[in-house]
Amino acid sequence: MRKSIIAVLAASVLGVAGYLTLDTAVQAEEVTLYKNPQCGCCEGYADYLRENGFDVTVEPTHELVPMSRSSGIPDGFQGCHLAFIDDYVVSGHVPVATIDRLLAERPGIKGITLPGMPQGSPGMSGVKTGAFEIYAIGDGAPHLYATK
Amino acid sequence: MSPIHNLPLSRRRLLTALAAGTASLAMLRLMSNPARAAGRKNFSLRAAPGRARLVPEPHGETPAWCYNDAVPGPELRVRQGERLRVTVENALAEETTVHWHGLRVPNAMDGVPHLTQRPIGVGETFVYEFDAVDAGTFWYHPHQRSFEQVGRGLYGPLIIEEADPPRVDREVTWVLDDWRLTQSAEIGEDFGNRHDMSHGGRIGNTATINGRVPEEFAVRRGERVRLRLVNAANARIFGLDFQDHAPTVIALDGQPVTPHEPAGGLVVLGPAMRADLILDMTAEPGSRVQVIDRFYQDLEYRLIDLAYDDAPLRDSAPNWSVALPANPLPEPDPATVRRHEIVFNGGMMGDMVMREMGGSMGEGGSSGMMGMMHGDGIWFINGKAAEGHVLDPMLTLERDRSHVIAMTNATAWHHPIHLHGHSFRVISRNGAPTIHREWQDTVLMAPRERVEITFVADNPGDWMFHCHILEHQAGGMMGVIRVA
Repeated sequence: MRKSIIAVLAASVLGVAGYLTLDTAVQAEEVTLYKNPQCGCCEGYADYLRENGFDVTVEPTHELVPMSRSSGIPDGFQGCHLAFIDDYVVSGHVPVATIDRLLAERPGIKGITLPGMPQGSPGMSGVKTGAFEIYAIGDGAPHLYATK
Repeated sequence: MSPIHNLPLSRRRLLTALAAGTASLAMLRLMSNPARAAGRKNFSLRAAPGRARLVPEPHGETPAWCYNDAVPGPELRVRQGERLRVTVENALAEETTVHWHGLRVPNAMDGVPHLTQRPIGVGETFVYEFDAVDAGTFWYHPHQRSFEQVGRGLYGPLIIEEADPPRVDREVTWVLDDWRLTQSAEIGEDFGNRHDMSHGGRIGNTATINGRVPEEFAVRRGERVRLRLVNAANARIFGLDFQDHAPTVIALDGQPVTPHEPAGGLVVLGPAMRADLILDMTAEPGSRVQVIDRFYQDLEYRLIDLAYDDAPLRDSAPNWSVALPANPLPEPDPATVRRHEIVFNGGMMGDMVMREMGGSMGEGGSSGMMGMMHGDGIWFINGKAAEGHVLDPMLTLERDRSHVIAMTNATAWHHPIHLHGHSFRVISRNGAPTIHREWQDTVLMAPRERVEITFVADNPGDWMFHCHILEHQAGGMMGVIRVA
């Protein structure tokens, strides 16, 4: 399932060049997701990643703020949990299509973040009230990476 | 204002409050307790930056804020009925106050900036003076920017001894704290960030007992210890498992309770809460037993070892009585009680729980992304998020009358809710009567839990009512209850 999603995404976004990266993405992508021990929505997000073919290990921690900061995510842009996927950090309830794009494009950034926990985002309850703005985290100020 | 003027002012305020006939009969009786002839004890506290040996070598000392150059500050100890006079000097680079947590003091001595006193300015001194009405385990800490001042180490135990305490071999105070330290053993500088504020507060990575990462506590088989536990952490809830030992809880938040084993064998203490335990050392001589903090699932850790000496003190636990004498608390009258409702909302996942349980996050309030981004209030009491300590009363309670406050935690998080100036009985949880009707000053509410408390509003004044997860308090979870 995961393989097919990557393939479709790569085909649509990157064309043939994308297929060449598939060699490294055939295996289920391993994810370590750090979350507040008492936060239920993060479990929902872990399940969402699993349903989309990721191999997710959930680690509860009280250190999300220091970890997010050391990953280069400013306070105002932090999501409520932190996932490490490949060489990237993915903060918050980022839709899997955006993660796939990240893994396919492999930009020279530290990772991506969906700040807060917007209603209707993956793993969250509620109805989506607006577009999700996902930011790229790098050495400078965060900039818009995707709108979903 | 010079320090010299502070004393008459504070003293005058106290006398005015009493003389104006505003103090209730109950409180007047407490103030003129004959035991006061026992005398007055003088203490000095100096709040200043310093260093604390929180973690052992090879780590360095930790720059902290200290009372009298120590973390915790000195244990203030008096006998019930004595009067305390505490001179507080502020050598910090910012204003401060001292709140005497759990003590039923006159309003002007309660240490809440702007509400009960002008904050103690940089270089200034303030004198607090009050009677030790109730015996028990209490503590003191600043109420000014407490999420940082307490978090950097400003706190200390305050013990009021019973005239006739239960017999034990040894009495020990453990002030528990939790620090977010960096690799170089310095305090992480991320105080007051919105993530901590909107989740479970600033929970750290290093637990200390009496300002030190503990290794072991030396005990002997057959020994009986009275363990006074104080949770001074900003946000960490402790759930202590003494394993094969069977601790008996004899007091909660300083107030005697029917001696009992804690539910599930776990001594659970939210921030600011206290428990007095009778702990009989029943393991084998020469053995070691871990005390484990189990509160957060999958993040359990060993707090300390009970290290048994090879030589027993006695073969089995003594059969001495463990009950404490009652404190002079007025008993609420269910027949004449006035009822009040309070709903807590907000925080992460707060929209979701509010939809299930009701309440309000005020005008334009949101716990979600917009609140995170734009600095709105995060936590709401009856629809209001507090800013600062001077607030219109959220409730006005008729003085000397019995009241029930029915509280609904319509949030996804725990909240230790603290009322100043009074102790209250916790009478129900989720509609079921509590077994012990325990007196507390800080009641821990689980997510989605409903708790009823009752008390006689006999201490006049404007009193803080707030969550003692200090990041939640700073995020708006605070209000004023007026007793008049």
